[in-house]
Amino acid sequence: MVAFRNTDASGRTTGLLLRCVLYSLLALALIIIDKRYDQLGRIRRVLSIVAYPVQIAVASPFEGWDWFRESVTTRDALRADKTKLEAELRLAQFRLQRYEALEAETARLRGLRDSTVGVTDRFIIGDVMDVDLDAFRERVLVDKGAQDGVFVGQAVLDGGGVFGQVARVGQLTSEVILLSDATHAIPIQINRNGLRTIAVGTGDMGRLKLPYLPTSADVVAGDLLVTSGLGGGFPAGYPVGTVAEVKRDPAQSLAEVDVKPAAALDRSRELMFVWMKPQPASTASSMAPTATPPAATAPPHAEHTASTPASTPASAPASAKAAARAPAAAPKPVKAPTGPAARANAQ
Amino acid sequence: MMRDTRIRRLPMALSALVALALAVLPLPAALDAFRPDFLVLVVFYWSIESPRAGGLTLAFVSGLALDMIHGVVLGQHALALTLMAGWATHLRLRLRVFSMLSQCLTIFALLTGYQFVLFWVDGATGNPVTTFGRWLAPVIGAILWPLLAGILSRLHER
Repeated sequence: MVAFRNTDASGRTTGLLLRCVLYSLLALALIIIDKRYDQLGRIRRVLSIVAYPVQIAVASPFEGWDWFRESVTTRDALRADKTKLEAELRLAQFRLQRYEALEAETARLRGLRDSTVGVTDRFIIGDVMDVDLDAFRERVLVDKGAQDGVFVGQAVLDGGGVFGQVARVGQLTSEVILLSDATHAIPIQINRNGLRTIAVGTGDMGRLKLPYLPTSADVVAGDLLVTSGLGGGFPAGYPVGTVAEVKRDPAQSLAEVDVKPAAALDRSRELMFVWMKPQPASTASSMAPTATPPAATAPPHAEHTASTPASTPASAPASAKAAARAPAAAPKPVKAPTGPAARANAQ
Repeated sequence: MMRDTRIRRLPMALSALVALALAVLPLPAALDAFRPDFLVLVVFYWSIESPRAGGLTLAFVSGLALDMIHGVVLGQHALALTLMAGWATHLRLRLRVFSMLSQCLTIFALLTGYQFVLFWVDGATGNPVTTFGRWLAPVIGAILWPLLAGILSRLHER
């Protein structure tokens, strides 16, 4: 079946070996440079422009088909959509009425405490490109890159909540690592009681887990999880997911908690890249001497969560639960920056 | 000779581009794990068929392209592909007289070696992918080899 031509029968094994070794050494050098030193960012960005036409060529037929389907929608469907959107808009406006006043109030209160941790400043919207990056890692390619100011480690949201963070930036495109990637972790807080922990991806788009909660932790199915803003990577207060199931095995010291992500990780097409307001430099210096190391990274959360070492002595008789929570919760703010941030650097 | 290599490079580059596009073509998540490494097979074919037209250079450049689109550490696929294309070039005279079954088995070994180098670099750079699924690609690639080699040789003979 395969008719190989009978050329090159002489063979040049020595030349082959030499070239093979040379190319392999070059590749090894690239791996080491890319891994050890951060010098290849510019080269990578330029190379990503070369990859762009291939990605566009692959994505465009699918986008064309989507466009075609949208343009042949019936009038009735459009009217139904419009009614639904208007209803949603009305609801959103009702909710927004008090937003400005609340934001001003929050800013004033935060100003009193000399901190603006995790307040979003501005955002841009990017479209997910229709290409598959890697079957075994949960990533998507988005059509916004260094040209639009996107940076590595930037938080990415969708309509439902937190989607992931930027893992790598090209000139025109960027790669977003999903919350559900098995190597991704995000610092979160249970909205009901302020309990802080870390949500870790599982490699399954419909599920995250909270592996660091003790069996005695106050968490029940249905709890809303929001970003805590610790570690500085994500803005505070955005929904991450809801607790789907809590399994408590008395023989184990840690509970098994499954979380359903709030963002539509497998469906979203439009993503928001978020910029946070720069944190005043005075915050860290003014808070550091009075707070313990874990609390220093999280001035606004140190008191009302009642689970850091700084506050446990004061509230010692309050409950055994808070005390039990403290050892587990204490190392987390320290750990949080090493989680997503270190991983983003490692990419 | 000069004229000969000129002629061979066009189908080479074209088939590599098509294979690259196939590597990023969106597939349903269920099928995604079964995607064979098209570009690797194409590089193997050209390494066996016409090593003098630059099989190793093609391997290195294709590897860099794969690194870019997969967004892994730069040089990973380039290393794996260069090593395996070198091996394939070394084996080419034997491969040409092999029966189809033996060819497929050899290609399977080459693809497994390729995956192993990727696996090793993944581990060494600190993002291991330990799912069993990655060892499926060599099997599928080896099964697809006769078809792909047939298509490419048709393109080549023209």
